Amino acid sequence: MAKEWVNSIVEAFYIAKKDAKVYYFKAPNFTYGLLIPLSLFLAFAMAGQLNPKLIIPGLASLVILFGTTSIEAVAVVLEKQTGTLERLLAAPVSYSALVLGKTLAGFFFGLILAVVILFPLAMLSGIVIASPVLAIVAIIFTSLMFSALGVLVSAYAKWVPEAQMLSNFLRFPMVFLSGTFVYLETLPFQLQVVARFLPLTYSVEALRLSVEGSTLTSLYLIDIAVLAMFTFALMVLAAKILERKSR
Amino acid sequence: MGFAVDVRNLTKRYGEIVALDSVSFGVNQGEVFGFLGPNGAGKTTTIRLLTGQIKPTSGVAMVAGYSVIHESTKAKTHIGVVPEVSNLYDEMDAWSNLIFAAELYRVPKNERDKRTKDLLELFGLYERRMSRVGTFSRGMKRRLTIAAALIHEPDILFLDEPTTGLDVQSSRTIRNLIKELNKNGTTVFLTTHYIEEADQLCQRVAMINQGRIATVGAPEKLKASVEQHQIIEISFSPAENLEHKLADINHVNKVLQVGDKFRLHVERTSQVIPLLVSFAKENDLEIISINTLRPSLEDVFVEITGIAVEAMAREKEQAKRGENLG
Repeated sequence: MAKEWVNSIVEAFYIAKKDAKVYYFKAPNFTYGLLIPLSLFLAFAMAGQLNPKLIIPGLASLVILFGTTSIEAVAVVLEKQTGTLERLLAAPVSYSALVLGKTLAGFFFGLILAVVILFPLAMLSGIVIASPVLAIVAIIFTSLMFSALGVLVSAYAKWVPEAQMLSNFLRFPMVFLSGTFVYLETLPFQLQVVARFLPLTYSVEALRLSVEGSTLTSLYLIDIAVLAMFTFALMVLAAKILERKSR
Repeated sequence: MGFAVDVRNLTKRYGEIVALDSVSFGVNQGEVFGFLGPNGAGKTTTIRLLTGQIKPTSGVAMVAGYSVIHESTKAKTHIGVVPEVSNLYDEMDAWSNLIFAAELYRVPKNERDKRTKDLLELFGLYERRMSRVGTFSRGMKRRLTIAAALIHEPDILFLDEPTTGLDVQSSRTIRNLIKELNKNGTTVFLTTHYIEEADQLCQRVAMINQGRIATVGAPEKLKASVEQHQIIEISFSPAENLEHKLADINHVNKVLQVGDKFRLHVERTSQVIPLLVSFAKENDLEIISINTLRPSLEDVFVEITGIAVEAMAREKEQAKRGENLG
């Protein structure tokens, strides 16, 4: 059993490495991963919401959300369209290893984008990230979770535009309901309740806590635990859908 | 010695559609086994079931001694799969594609480079090892797909329409490779709609139509089974619109047009040849050539399935062109 797990993890890394070679430099990843979050950021900035400690964690989360879900839309759905998914399914690789591999590919992509955005922007805007370690941990869990979300959506979709459309259906409500560019407490109570069902809320909150304070709080730990649970559930669901779709 | 592939009452349904209907057959260790049938007969569904990509609705399928339903991962380590459409990563070079295949099949790290180099040399692609696969011709992609399927030295190789859409030279190269692999002990399961190809390569064939196995046997035995029909192959000048007229001649059971020739299935050739000479005179035709033939595997196929082979090939090529355009 333990050997099977080790094998699955190794296979997942090979798949992720291959995905990095094949899909990282596809144009839609950058269009969706960077341009849309930056446009949203500029829109809020022009509206006068320019508190860097509030904005930058939200922007980093959005970059991860859009970056990971965009790369997965390409990395999973293109494999279906070109028939290369058949190659993976014919190999002695389990569905869980396949989903883990795909999730890892998106995870590293999101991680790179977030680090590239968060730390230079923090320096430029003159804020000090109180706990860089906690910020990195939050970025890691956020990137894993949104990458798994991207795999789930793409496991269901047949075509890249369909995956992008489904992703947008999930992404845009989260952008405006998760306290990305405003403090959650300033939202009406009903919206605060809705926000608690959205994973982006926990990602923004964890990142904001690590930017604003250097101590490990229980709220931060809850955020990370929720992100981990979302990741696990999304991956299990993605494996099930992928399996059912290929039958 | 057990079967390399053992299939019993395998059925696959998609809703109301029965893609495979209680199919049973066995593939001996070390043989080349052909699976013949028209488009939509169930050939690709069979390969996808046997390679663990889809699950059957019912029935048993054992590959290399493992159930493809319950021990799919173990079975997959013993097989190589070459799908009908080459499924390599166009963005990666030939070398990286093979290395990735070696990684997926857990070929030991210290052997990956050597096996990749050997296979690229064997398939005549070593000089192009650093070229992106997207720049390869269809024949080169096909060879590389076969190479990728062999990287883990499988016991059984599944090939789905290995030469469809290839030029004559590439097709010949691939047929020779299949023969060579089989000589070295690899069991080969291939689907094809090129009956002549199956006749040249396979020790045994199964003919499938509308999801059901019509017959299984060695090509020569199958030919012998339809030898009660004798065949005359004749060509005329001019040759237009003769098929129906020829079918009206006494003792002619069936007429097939093959290129510029007509194949007449008759009860006795000695009865029909004088009638054909008279027919030519009456219709002011010149007989260009006349031969008596033994039934070919193609005749067996037509006899059993009732499907004209040329129509089947045409349909396949059209489907292929449609895919490429799409």
